[in-house]
Amino acid sequence: MRPLRIALTKGRLESSTVKLMERAGMDCTALHDKGRRLILPVGDSLEAVLAKAGDVITYLEHGVCDLGVVGKDVIMERGGSFFEILDLGFGRCRFALAAPEGTDFYRGYQGKTIATKYPHVARRFFQGKDMDVRVIKIEGSVELAPLLGLADGIVDLVETGATLRENGLAIVEPVAEVSARLIVNAPSLKLRKGEIEKLAARWETCLKPAQ
Amino acid sequence: MKQYNKFVPEGVRDILLDECRARREAQRRFSEIFTRRGYQEVMTPGLEFYDLFTLPGAALRQREMYKSTDCAGRLLVFRPDSTLPIARMAAARLQGHRLPLRLFYSQTVYRSWPELSGKSHESPQMGVELLGASGIRADLEVICTAVECLRAITQDFHLELGHAGLFQLLVSRLEISPEQQEEIRATIEAKNYGALGELLDPLGDRPEAEAIRRLPRLFGGEEVLAQAESWGLKGEGVQPLDYLRELYGALKQLGLGHRLMVDLGLVQRNDYYTGIVFGGYVGGSGSQVLTGGRYDRLCGKFGQPMPAVGFGMDMGSVAGLLEDQLPPVGGADVLVHGEKGQEITAQREMMRLTAMGLRCESSVWESQAEAEAYAKEAGISQIIVVGETLKTIDLGGKDHEAVENCPH
Repeated sequence: MRPLRIALTKGRLESSTVKLMERAGMDCTALHDKGRRLILPVGDSLEAVLAKAGDVITYLEHGVCDLGVVGKDVIMERGGSFFEILDLGFGRCRFALAAPEGTDFYRGYQGKTIATKYPHVARRFFQGKDMDVRVIKIEGSVELAPLLGLADGIVDLVETGATLRENGLAIVEPVAEVSARLIVNAPSLKLRKGEIEKLAARWETCLKPAQ
Repeated sequence: MKQYNKFVPEGVRDILLDECRARREAQRRFSEIFTRRGYQEVMTPGLEFYDLFTLPGAALRQREMYKSTDCAGRLLVFRPDSTLPIARMAAARLQGHRLPLRLFYSQTVYRSWPELSGKSHESPQMGVELLGASGIRADLEVICTAVECLRAITQDFHLELGHAGLFQLLVSRLEISPEQQEEIRATIEAKNYGALGELLDPLGDRPEAEAIRRLPRLFGGEEVLAQAESWGLKGEGVQPLDYLRELYGALKQLGLGHRLMVDLGLVQRNDYYTGIVFGGYVGGSGSQVLTGGRYDRLCGKFGQPMPAVGFGMDMGSVAGLLEDQLPPVGGADVLVHGEKGQEITAQREMMRLTAMGLRCESSVWESQAEAEAYAKEAGISQIIVVGETLKTIDLGGKDHEAVENCPH
């Protein structure tokens, strides 16, 4: 049988995952020294590919990768059908609703306009409040939209809140906590249960306690 | 102006030659299995009223259905599922028919998936519905039929068993809102252990909450049943477990032990399932090609309550598996070339040879030389030239049954 294949989200989550795998005693030499290879062996029983966050889910859903490491933000926005078996604790930040400092976002009966890179997350958050809002998708710096008068508020990922403050915005309400997750293709988990559960358990014992 | 006359819409495609042959072969094998077991084929319309698929528990999302309107402005959908239409048909059209009804279908369903997801919007499906029978005999019958289908395609398959009643019972004892129930169900379905814990923590340490907490991890072999039994659930709660144990034992005696898996966390969105639920996986990597289960309350929604159980198979995946196993189609056995003025006699010769079971092509060429060149290219090893007499030319290559050289 072929080794289990894991898709890692490139960038920060990748380096945290590599550190985690090393703590778990897995051989990550190929991940440090990639060369021109695209499929990288991790010990004998695992191989890794690096992908953009959304593609991690795509590869997994089509069954060409068994496992994936991806941020909860991407899972929430993109959805999909797979198993989410472990919260890895790193890549921690939060979705929040923010509005210009000093304004009362919820005041008034006028429909609100929200600028966001995460239209599904934003829409679901307001649906949960039975609020009908206009959602506008912005690709780049969302903070700009309220400054220009396009939106009443934004739903965005917030780490320290520094960017918000610099742009005169303040958090109105947290929307959801986000961190990296270990996800698994459904048939893979069923048919290779032993291997996958062993790997997940090994990772779980090596997780750093939440701050 | 953009021209789309050379393209097909997203999510649908042409099915060519080998793949088409594989799909038809799979359909032929399954039809034979179903027919031999006494199932009769039905077809339901390609268009149905939208209302049929919005019954509570139908679990079809509005955006997943292709819609249209009829001339009265009523909303129609392109058949997105076969079980609901068959339940409607059985309840409305087959009232008073001898029970149980053994029905099978082979038809296409349409679903509109998000753009660029690579999923098929048009899926051929085959399956059976056994209506008007409950109990282990009926469940075994349908599961064994499913196993025969899987076996007709591959020896490398797994069958997964679960029970919709277990979760429904546990969650109903928690006295929580339907929205909370749905949230819990979704986290079990996604095997999201962390989120499930957060949902259950506020409910305290009641035994039902503890049992639900463990559900998503309870998949694997027979040991799973033992683990669930060790919770010491009382009353109705043990019925689904006892039943699964009985069914598992029966299937094991049928020699399926190493092919069986149990997943007590199978809590599909299709909450029309009321009892046993099952799925079939094929191949090492494992794609799910079969889903089924018992739905005892569905026909009642059409005014004819009766128990029912069935399954459906994704024929696209099944044909894909079969395609690699089928031998390639070689050239025809014979090319029949009629000389000028002998075209009709040549067609008569075609009829004679095809009636003998030979695969023949008729030559569309003017000259024998062109016919020979074509036969070589198409891998046809024998030409019968129809002139005043019949002349056989062997182009060598493969062996063929001798075709008699007789005057006509």
